Amino acid sequence: MAVAEVVGFLKENPVYRKRVVHVELTEPEHARYGTLDAPLPEPVAAYLDANGICLYSHQCTAVNLIRAGNHVIITTPTASGKTLAFNIPVFLVLESDPEARALYLYPTKALANDQYATLRQMAQFTGITAKPAIYDGDTPQSKRAAIRENARVIISNPHELHQVLSWHAKWIHFFSHLKFVVIDEAHRYRGVFGSHIALLIRRLVRLCRHYGSDPQFVMSTATLANPLEFAERLAGRQFELVDQDGSPHGRKHFVLYNPFYDGIGERSTHQETKDLLISCMKGNLQTLCFTGSRKMAELITVWAQEDARRSSHRFTEAIAAYRAGYLPEERRLIERQLKAGELKGVISTNALELGVDIGSLDAVIISGYPGTMVSTRQQAGRAGRKGEASLAILVAQANPLDQYFMHHPGQFFSRSHEHAIVDTANPYIVSGHMLCASAELPLNDDTDRTFFGDLFIPLRSELASQNLVKQTARGWVYAGRGRAADAVRLDGIPAETFRILCNGRLLETMDRAQAYREAHEGAIMLHQGESYVVREMDLTTHTVRVANTDVDYYTQPLKDVSLAVIETLETKNLNRVNYAFGEVEVTEQYTGYKIKRGDTVIGVEPLQLPPLTFRTKAFWFILPPDAEQRIIDAGLDLAGGLHGSEHAIIALMPLHVMCDRWDIGGLSSPQFGDSGEPTIFVYDAYEGGIGLAEKAFGILPELFATSHELVRDCPCETGCPSCIYSPKCGNDNQPLDKEGTVLILAELAQPEEKREYAGREGKPGKAIP
Amino acid sequence: MAAVHNPVRIGTLWQQRIQGLRDYEVIRDGNIFRTSFSESYVYSSDYSRARRRLEQLVNQYRGMPFSEVFPGEEVTNEGGVCFSLRSNHYLSRTRIDAENLRGEIFSDLTLVRGIGEATERHLKGRGYQTLWDLMQHPRFRAPAHKVIERISAGDSADIMDLIGCRHAKSHPLVLGLAGFHEPEDYVYLDIETLGLFSRPIILFGVGVIENGRLAVYQYLLRNIGEERAALIATLGHLAGDRPALVTFNGKAFDLPYVKERLAYYGMGAPGHIPHFDVLHFSRRRWRGSMPSLRLTVLEEEILGIRRKDDIPGQMVPEFYEAYLLTGNCGPLVPVIEHNRQDVVSLALLFFRLLEESYGCC
Repeated sequence: MAVAEVVGFLKENPVYRKRVVHVELTEPEHARYGTLDAPLPEPVAAYLDANGICLYSHQCTAVNLIRAGNHVIITTPTASGKTLAFNIPVFLVLESDPEARALYLYPTKALANDQYATLRQMAQFTGITAKPAIYDGDTPQSKRAAIRENARVIISNPHELHQVLSWHAKWIHFFSHLKFVVIDEAHRYRGVFGSHIALLIRRLVRLCRHYGSDPQFVMSTATLANPLEFAERLAGRQFELVDQDGSPHGRKHFVLYNPFYDGIGERSTHQETKDLLISCMKGNLQTLCFTGSRKMAELITVWAQEDARRSSHRFTEAIAAYRAGYLPEERRLIERQLKAGELKGVISTNALELGVDIGSLDAVIISGYPGTMVSTRQQAGRAGRKGEASLAILVAQANPLDQYFMHHPGQFFSRSHEHAIVDTANPYIVSGHMLCASAELPLNDDTDRTFFGDLFIPLRSELASQNLVKQTARGWVYAGRGRAADAVRLDGIPAETFRILCNGRLLETMDRAQAYREAHEGAIMLHQGESYVVREMDLTTHTVRVANTDVDYYTQPLKDVSLAVIETLETKNLNRVNYAFGEVEVTEQYTGYKIKRGDTVIGVEPLQLPPLTFRTKAFWFILPPDAEQRIIDAGLDLAGGLHGSEHAIIALMPLHVMCDRWDIGGLSSPQFGDSGEPTIFVYDAYEGGIGLAEKAFGILPELFATSHELVRDCPCETGCPSCIYSPKCGNDNQPLDKEGTVLILAELAQPEEKREYAGREGKPGKAIP
Repeated sequence: MAAVHNPVRIGTLWQQRIQGLRDYEVIRDGNIFRTSFSESYVYSSDYSRARRRLEQLVNQYRGMPFSEVFPGEEVTNEGGVCFSLRSNHYLSRTRIDAENLRGEIFSDLTLVRGIGEATERHLKGRGYQTLWDLMQHPRFRAPAHKVIERISAGDSADIMDLIGCRHAKSHPLVLGLAGFHEPEDYVYLDIETLGLFSRPIILFGVGVIENGRLAVYQYLLRNIGEERAALIATLGHLAGDRPALVTFNGKAFDLPYVKERLAYYGMGAPGHIPHFDVLHFSRRRWRGSMPSLRLTVLEEEILGIRRKDDIPGQMVPEFYEAYLLTGNCGPLVPVIEHNRQDVVSLALLFFRLLEESYGCC
């Protein structure tokens, strides 16, 4: 009842009431149980009984499908018992086949440890010898041989696997008998990282084939719009989907809260979050608060503790921050205190998003949209003890995506899934893994095409021309002087790296594009919550020297972009507009940077940096002449309208495709190219492309519809950060014309939308002739 | 959808990246604080000297065909062809007193599980001097019988395991098991590779006793395609009745490396062969009295061998790569010489250790 009371309070309190945009109620669901096709062997059935577990419908479906030999992807929500759903069939095979082995891949140590404990417990109880073991970078050398030989379930991570594959001579027994590969939290393997993992998995399957095994894949992910496509891209096999959740839950309240309800906002998102946290705690709800950065987590904690001091000292002590940088003992302490109820409010970054065992709480406050629906759901999913009511509050920031949700709650709750992108055709990524594969087994022109696709032959020739692989009677043998698995990293597109040094100590590394953008001379850089100023960037040694700083201003680079179409790969016509997708060459040049305090520009400095040229994939289109005419007739700015449309489209791409707006670049011009036509380009900001523009090209109507709604329904007059202003605009957000943008986007969206063209809320729009 | 693309820059990018990886570090001369078994290092003066030598060799051997430079022959087997060089070396014979050795083994009561040093003293005091004597002992009769069986079976690899379990793997008794073999059984192995694992072995050095002398066979890859043939040729030397493998650090490097390359080509691994790793025995014998346990240091201090114009082992990959890229044989010359000397010194060191422990006359 406490939850309902707090929600009521939020809706009635005069201050909160204005900001509560929407409360979505989800009625409680009882558990739905399922039936297994075949009964479980006695030890496993006893294990379930002893733990009071009755299998839900989706668990049964998963077990049935896996037992039948299918590759399966499970997308039911967190805490729906997915782990059990795949552990059971694995244990069944371990029992019936004494040589069987299984590989479990986890993205983090915390998750791997959780799974290890679970497997050990299950093995101990059932008596089935799983002999689980963790095998990763921390496993001592002395234990490795024994684990390789004896452990039947090995828990590892992609980085370790990447190194292990070239040592397969030591893993012969394991790979020959590998029956399962379980990939948990698989949605993390998307984008550039996902591409690497996809190819790593292909290398694994290639080795398994060589040793005569063909393991079954089980993937567990958060809910996605394209689960089967994603699974197939990641693992290269056909999957069956289990997505109907049978687990029970209590009544869920999801509140959309907008501090900028009036377009201006009195206080920041994080201050409002702090107020909400205190209110929830006072309402006796154990509350977890998620925020995007360590600094913010600390700040909110401090503010909340100051507020709490006015009430009681004990109250202050019931609030704590939690983040990844803490020692394991510190984190364990917080987890225990949460479980014991001593802590009433915890403010975290996304560390807790990943399965550490803190159990569930009553309420979750999400400060700023975390970037994907998946994250939002996982964070919100932390609220709700068994069968009890729960509360989740999303507090919006002043940016287009957050504000879009606040003005279109229906979109937030219906469009709950994005597409996860895995592109297996980026030549830079593929060639690196081909090198590694050649060091594992000689490359074979006939059989290895299945793993590396159409790019295999041209890339293989390219590697051979550099003497990295040599032809022999057995295939192409790796002949590089360095170790392939050391040269290929599982992150980023291979490029030269810049080292960021502070007092000689390495802070981080960046590729050239990021270095030019964020670490140019004079830039203010953020790293793990600390500010640094860039003193020097040395292009020959690829080093950037920074110094600690505490200034109150920040910098924003200015960039010129030019673009040339290399090849059009696909075209389509929608609503009389021609759209194209293909390969482009982008040239970006950083010409200077702005110095800003808050929203005020206090200076502009020039930069001397060479241009960055790279090839990537893009979609583009030319505005039809009649639309162009309409804009001119209405006295609107064509360039401003195109530019605003470009920003809006990029801002909302993450709504449909799991990416960051920083993963995408754009270019608009009223007179592009030789023909001088008004054109908008949207491209992947990664050399070689990673499938984002490609996916967007497939869903253009939805993309334009939502972009149009965003700008049309924004309460501002001439454009603002909540609609068409972009935080990374190299042109300083000029020129921008909001009305022109609305007209253009209306043109691109559904035909009906055009007739709806009008100003906001009764304000007369320009007449359409 | 896969687009036609321009891969021109990709190959260069990877070559640059890979060239940037170093398997060793060049350090200031005499900077002994940097030495450790895990880091591979080369003193900067040795490095510069070797680089100068490389340049000089390339000039000296320019235009000379392979056959003119290396007097060897082609070897053909199921793996294809490779190139083989042979040289002979004098070796003073060391006879191991096999009887002495057997006596020592059978007198070691601690080989029986359950008998520690104290128990052994006690038992010997009671008159149980050998394992045979223990057959009379009510409690230890059964385990002693097992040990006697194992030793009598004569499988030296198995006996090495037995002794290595109850004592250290570098225990003198383990070394002494060499006495269970004839000199013709020993196979001295040293390989040169293109790096630290996951890259081809480019030269196999195999030493065997033939007609009282040490014959060193070197199987060289004229191109990467010859690796399989070289592997098979090398393993051929281990196909005798009772082969005994002798290496320097081969337990950590040479043998796992050979197994890795065999697995790379889908070829089977060799069976369990008794393996005498001279580094381990050297460590036990000379640690503390030598500045370092590197083979070049041991051969200088103990055997009085001083190499001339040698190159550091870690630089073999770049010398071989220079040959691959240009076809110029010059860079191969010091590699082959280095390897040959490694095999010879290995054999000499092995016999010296045997002499000291079990030799007679």
